[in-house]
Amino acid sequence: MAGSPISRGFRSRRQEQTPRNRVPPGQYVTTDFPVLSAGPTPQIKVEDWTLSLQLAGSLLGKWSWAEFEALPQTTIKTDIHCVTKWSKLDTTWRGVTFDDLLKGVGLAEPPTPYVMAHSDGGYTTNLPVADLINGRGMIVTRYEGLPIPPVHGGPARLFVPHLYFWKSAKWVRRLRFMEKDERGFWESLGYHNYGDPWKEQRYDGD
Amino acid sequence: MIEPAIAPQPRLEWQLAEVRAIVVETPRVKSLLLQVPAWQGHLPGQHVDIRLTAEDGYQAQRSYSIASPPEDALLTLTVERLDNGEVSPYLVDDVRVGDQFELRGPIGGYFVWTVATRGPLCLIAGGSGIAPLAAMLRHRARRKVRAPTLLMYSSRSLEEVIYGEELDAMSRGDSDLRLVNTLTREQPEGWTGYRRRIDKAMLAEVGFPPEQHPKIFICGPTPLVEDASRFLVELGHPFPTIKTERFGPTGGLAS
Amino acid sequence: MTENNSVLFLDGNAAASLLQEIFVPDISIAEIRCVACGFASSVGSLRLYAASMGAVLRCTHCDGILIRAVHTRHGRWLEMTGARHLRF
Repeated sequence: MAGSPISRGFRSRRQEQTPRNRVPPGQYVTTDFPVLSAGPTPQIKVEDWTLSLQLAGSLLGKWSWAEFEALPQTTIKTDIHCVTKWSKLDTTWRGVTFDDLLKGVGLAEPPTPYVMAHSDGGYTTNLPVADLINGRGMIVTRYEGLPIPPVHGGPARLFVPHLYFWKSAKWVRRLRFMEKDERGFWESLGYHNYGDPWKEQRYDGD
Repeated sequence: MIEPAIAPQPRLEWQLAEVRAIVVETPRVKSLLLQVPAWQGHLPGQHVDIRLTAEDGYQAQRSYSIASPPEDALLTLTVERLDNGEVSPYLVDDVRVGDQFELRGPIGGYFVWTVATRGPLCLIAGGSGIAPLAAMLRHRARRKVRAPTLLMYSSRSLEEVIYGEELDAMSRGDSDLRLVNTLTREQPEGWTGYRRRIDKAMLAEVGFPPEQHPKIFICGPTPLVEDASRFLVELGHPFPTIKTERFGPTGGLAS
Repeated sequence: MTENNSVLFLDGNAAASLLQEIFVPDISIAEIRCVACGFASSVGSLRLYAASMGAVLRCTHCDGILIRAVHTRHGRWLEMTGARHLRF
């Protein structure tokens, strides 16, 4: 910020303690798991839970919890990066890849270029399908071997770790294929449409 | 001194505040007394934003309640050192008299009480949540208004009671001010006061009954605020008479 | 670990400086009425979610979103389609 006077002796302790080669610019590593929600935690019973793939008003596929758990499961260990500047390294998640969801409805490739993820509670986020296929995106149900706690998005959340974590929508219930890109909850309010942490794409205009 | 008869119009421009004095309140808490040249006055309960800038341009911004009454010339911010905090360790450990940082305010006319408000005043504080309530009490004392007032203050131990001596002296000299401390973790020899977290029974014992229509202000850690406001509603206080200020972990006030 | 919803939100008053950059009179004492359920309250008493990303202010009665606001280095966004009116 041009013109702000320097506060004598002040420095960012968190960023100084961060291994820079592993962590995107402007981030610091945390060992806890901060909770950030745009609304109250939905209390979802797995007996009532379903996940849908939708295209222009028609249903491409729908899974109950039991059906979803019967799909091929993939485990991944990776880092996650929140736009509020914390990063968490070596986190383990388990769920179903987007590729396996497509196979599950008999599709060899996504029918449109974009997807909007819709969650219980009304949250949305948009993504190019290119950022979901080839193992880049999953619907996860386990964190560190245990069911994801509701406050962190359980029973199931979207998981797209190469982008800022607001794209990994908690409490996901529906993936809607879109011909044209539309902006989701944060993307329509000043946050970056894509959100690559390595290019520090936090805000619209970055 | 400016009479705060009406809410001052918020001026949200960054100004330069200079530290004129530092008071050690408890082992983890200090008060910074600030000179803010173009300060327009404030109402008891309001807060300010402060902004720190490092040499590499990194900035951190936090909100702090104003602990001083509008009758004081200097602005007091009371800061508790949080171990994992980014800003509070700097303010408590490193700041010296003469240092300057950016400040703007006053902010938030919602969590405000002045002597112009009639009726009993019920203040409930946990830890450093005492700060905005202290501004209200100090204002009340300076204006010599004897509104029936209760301060219920929860702290972990006697040494962690912020402004302890001042609050004791205030209540000794004023029969309309009741001070109830509860020490939740450690109590000194011979302590006859409460030794547990604020609960419904405690509030029923010492609080104003709903028929007296007290104005209620609760400030402190989120669980204390949640519990106290829920108990008060259960005891019959209408929800709109209860104003809360949560010190949460999600970057609201202070870390 | 508690699954207590209450640690997820602050009081609307904590959003006051973010909003005060946009409004001239004191926003925290303005009355706001929810489109979804009609409940009226002061902005300072709303439930503030996602404070570290901006402000999502929800109705204490029905949890509907009344105000969303974000301030970034590129500008300020304000969305209030969930509010029927603000009264100062």
